[in-house]
Amino acid sequence: MSDAATPAISCRHLWQVFGPNAKAELVSALAAHGRDGNAAAAELRAKGLIPAVQDVSFDVRPGELFVIMGLSGSGKSTLVRCLSRLLDVTAGDVRIQGEDIATASKARLIELRRKKLGMVFQHFGLFPHMSVLDNVAYPLRVQGIGRAQRQAKAREVIELVGLGGRESAFPRNLSGGQRQRVGIARSLVGDCEVWFLDEPFSALDPLIRRQLQDEFLQIRAKLNTTIVFITHDIAEALKLADRIAIMRDGKVIQIGTPSQIVLNPVDDYVREFARDVAKGRHARVDSVMKPAHGTLAEGPSLREGMTLDAALAACVAAQAPVAVRDGAGAVVGQIDPADLVSALHVEET
Amino acid sequence: MSALSEAPPAARPQLGPGTWAALVTLLAGALCLIFAPRLPWLTAWPADWVLLDTKSLSAWLEAALRFIRPAARLVSALLAYPMGWANALFLATPWPLFIGIVTAIGWLIGGAAMASLGFLGLVFVLISGYWAEGMSTLALVAVSVPVALLAGLAIGLLANEVPRVKGAVQVLLDVMQTVPTFAYLTPLVLLFGFGPVVGLIASAIYAAPPMARNVILGFERVETEIKEAAIMSGATRFQQLFQVEIPAAGRQIMVGFNQCLMAALSMVIIAAVIGGFNDIGWEVLLTMRKALFGQSLLAGLVIVAFAVVIDRMSGALAFERARHDRRVALAILGVALLATLLVWWRHPDPEAFRLLTPLAEAVDKGLGAFTASQGATLDALKNNAMFYGLLPLRIGLDDSVLPFTWGFQWTAWMSGAWFAVAALAGLALALSGRVTAGIALTIGLGIIETGIAQLPWPFVLIGAGALGHVAGGRRLALLSVVLLLAILVSGLWDRALLSLYLCTASVVACVLVGGALGLASAVSPTVWRVVRPVCDMLQTIPLFVFLIPVLMFFQIGEFSAFLAICAYAVVPMIRYTRHGLVETPPEMVEAATAAGATTWQMLRDVRAPWAAPTILLGLNQTILYAFSMLVIAALIGTTDLGQSIFLALGQADIGLGVSAGAAMAILAFIADRLVQGFARGQREALGL
Repeated sequence: MSDAATPAISCRHLWQVFGPNAKAELVSALAAHGRDGNAAAAELRAKGLIPAVQDVSFDVRPGELFVIMGLSGSGKSTLVRCLSRLLDVTAGDVRIQGEDIATASKARLIELRRKKLGMVFQHFGLFPHMSVLDNVAYPLRVQGIGRAQRQAKAREVIELVGLGGRESAFPRNLSGGQRQRVGIARSLVGDCEVWFLDEPFSALDPLIRRQLQDEFLQIRAKLNTTIVFITHDIAEALKLADRIAIMRDGKVIQIGTPSQIVLNPVDDYVREFARDVAKGRHARVDSVMKPAHGTLAEGPSLREGMTLDAALAACVAAQAPVAVRDGAGAVVGQIDPADLVSALHVEET
Repeated sequence: MSALSEAPPAARPQLGPGTWAALVTLLAGALCLIFAPRLPWLTAWPADWVLLDTKSLSAWLEAALRFIRPAARLVSALLAYPMGWANALFLATPWPLFIGIVTAIGWLIGGAAMASLGFLGLVFVLISGYWAEGMSTLALVAVSVPVALLAGLAIGLLANEVPRVKGAVQVLLDVMQTVPTFAYLTPLVLLFGFGPVVGLIASAIYAAPPMARNVILGFERVETEIKEAAIMSGATRFQQLFQVEIPAAGRQIMVGFNQCLMAALSMVIIAAVIGGFNDIGWEVLLTMRKALFGQSLLAGLVIVAFAVVIDRMSGALAFERARHDRRVALAILGVALLATLLVWWRHPDPEAFRLLTPLAEAVDKGLGAFTASQGATLDALKNNAMFYGLLPLRIGLDDSVLPFTWGFQWTAWMSGAWFAVAALAGLALALSGRVTAGIALTIGLGIIETGIAQLPWPFVLIGAGALGHVAGGRRLALLSVVLLLAILVSGLWDRALLSLYLCTASVVACVLVGGALGLASAVSPTVWRVVRPVCDMLQTIPLFVFLIPVLMFFQIGEFSAFLAICAYAVVPMIRYTRHGLVETPPEMVEAATAAGATTWQMLRDVRAPWAAPTILLGLNQTILYAFSMLVIAALIGTTDLGQSIFLALGQADIGLGVSAGAAMAILAFIADRLVQGFARGQREALGL
């Protein structure tokens, strides 16, 4: 593990262009437009090429759960394939724990994937000819680890995802939810440090999806991995994310915490996403908190990290600003109930 | 299209590309018709214009082959060893043991059903008295199939690993599929000399493409995410390939294995034509030539028994998943060993069990009696079909209508009247709004007057070009014209037209009969229950065997060839027609039912349009089947390219063999691309 200051993943000016001669076309388009990404992308489109990812830059901190959200066709699946180098990037820089992925050799990539990276797929990507146990143990098998050892480790992970007892079943005998548990177990068996999940729950029905989201959060709490999670579902993004990047037409148009996204949508596109969200359940008091000044009235006090709904319920009778305290009970700020109400109703204006 | 129909009736309808193509073809036909009497070169390509005749091609090719012949002879000498071993092994294995092994394998693959199929099939071979011949054939297959499998797998892997060559490989496989079977043999005979090794190599070459095709298809069908999951697991390319992609493509590869086996068996039997080496194909050919149809039928049935056992067992390998108790297989083997000790010890010669010879003789006698008593009826049937169906299509009404058969002589005046009627009928259709159909009708009636074998070549070239343009754009049009020109300048035009005629006649018959049977099967499950096993059987039987029954009743001649081609080529038409009609999406059927459509309205308005692309694919298969049978039919008397290919084989005339084979392949290739183009257009129109 590298030190905490190095981002777990860092990408700069990342481009993925599909079409003939993409690399040369991109270079010339960028040169012609003085590195203006939008203009260059427009020119590429006019020539019949497809800029699926345009000039994307962001950092993911170690241990962070970073969600990339966008509608289908927004380039999010392409982006995650650039990060894991299932696709060769057309231009730009991708670093994982400071190491340049885009130029890594074949051997080094195999090494990285065996030791550091794990990936879960939307349609599970299970090997149809292998049992659950063999599927999960496969990443260890390719490393040449002996049968007994790899199966013992695989059994542990299968237990972790709640599939104990189904080891000898084949993918075709499993339900969608169970299949994705196998997918998750397989990606975890190598003790990855960076975990990519490409719309892992999108192919499941809503009830199973919610159940797996909860289990996912539990698993995540046990691990210390950096996670890149792709979804098209805003509720899922808000529920899981530490930070969210919103993508449209190959560009990242906003990066922020769930509260920032919900309360300060950067444009109409994001606002459209946020509109259907019950804001009170996702935004936290931190987002409307102001620094504490003067003495605060006795009475109810709020806690850092509370959702707005909970805060409103707690101070519904209060007239004056209410204190916000941290876990230890120290005052970290204050909230005016009026701000709370207006934050919740910002949409109606 | 909808915008067109909404336009006010006063607006002049615009002509679609199909209509333009039909108009151009019609014009070309009319011009040819007018000038043909004055310009004889319009109908007969002058000999002086032949740029590359078959003799000079022979000289060229033989000169080229001389360089590789020593290497080829070495290969053939080397291959003779495994062939000898396989032959010795198959012949030396005691017959009860062999039956036991096959039965045990059948049990492992598919339980009791497969075990009894294997047992009954081989017992039939035993009592037919053709055990030794059958084993020789199997030995050839046993050597050629591994070669074909390895080659097919290697080609498939190459195409998968090197995307740059994939397109080229697929074109090559397409071409190999259209090259007629006999055409392979002539160059091989020159290279490797006569003998069983040629049959072996030909069968390996013929059987490799289906394997390669299925391997490529299998790799393509492995889900992207499965491949990505292997990559992200940190597998090396080698591990990805052998631990994930090949097993995941396993079922498709097994389908390839099945097709490879069947192709090899089929070719091994066909290769018997180039020389007797005591195998079952040779036995069929020999008895056929001696007109011993009972024996010939028996030998043919032995081939069918092999084909059915091999096909069903290898097919079950691809689709069956259930596991069967190994102990039962061991028990079967034990019984077989016991039987070997008890029976084989005393009767080592399988000839002792020849029980069916009296039956064959009875069939011969019965057949003789039947043809003697019903000869007049059979002849009448044959002559009527020839005089009123096949001949007019071949040489046109103007030459085939004679006082001797039709009772009157066709005159120039009648031709004029015929063309006038054709033009008027076409005009009537065109005025009712179906311009393209009208023009096509006029062209069709014109062709019947002229005869396919006497069509002027500019008309054929322009017609093919126009069709190509509609079906696949400028490239296909150009390709069709250039390829047809190649046939012209090689001096094989007249024979190519004869092939075209025989193929057209059979395909038309197949479309009528097969379409009707397909329709009936789609409407009535009872009919399908009867038709389906017949189709299965017809598709399993090697081409060769189709010749026996038609010869039994109609002797050698064009009509027998026509019947054999139809019997073989009708199956895809039935299958695809039914499949297309039955597989209409249920919600469309429900919507039509809700709208109050009757069964026939549903069939006409909903199912038929939906089925059109599928039926076109069936037509495509039927055409390709007809072309491949055309060459085999040369054995029983035709005069077309197929006959040239067959003659070339007998005379080791490589120039004739290669150019006639190429011409045949060109015809099949163009027909294939045209129909596929139309099918694609139909699918796109339906938004599929």
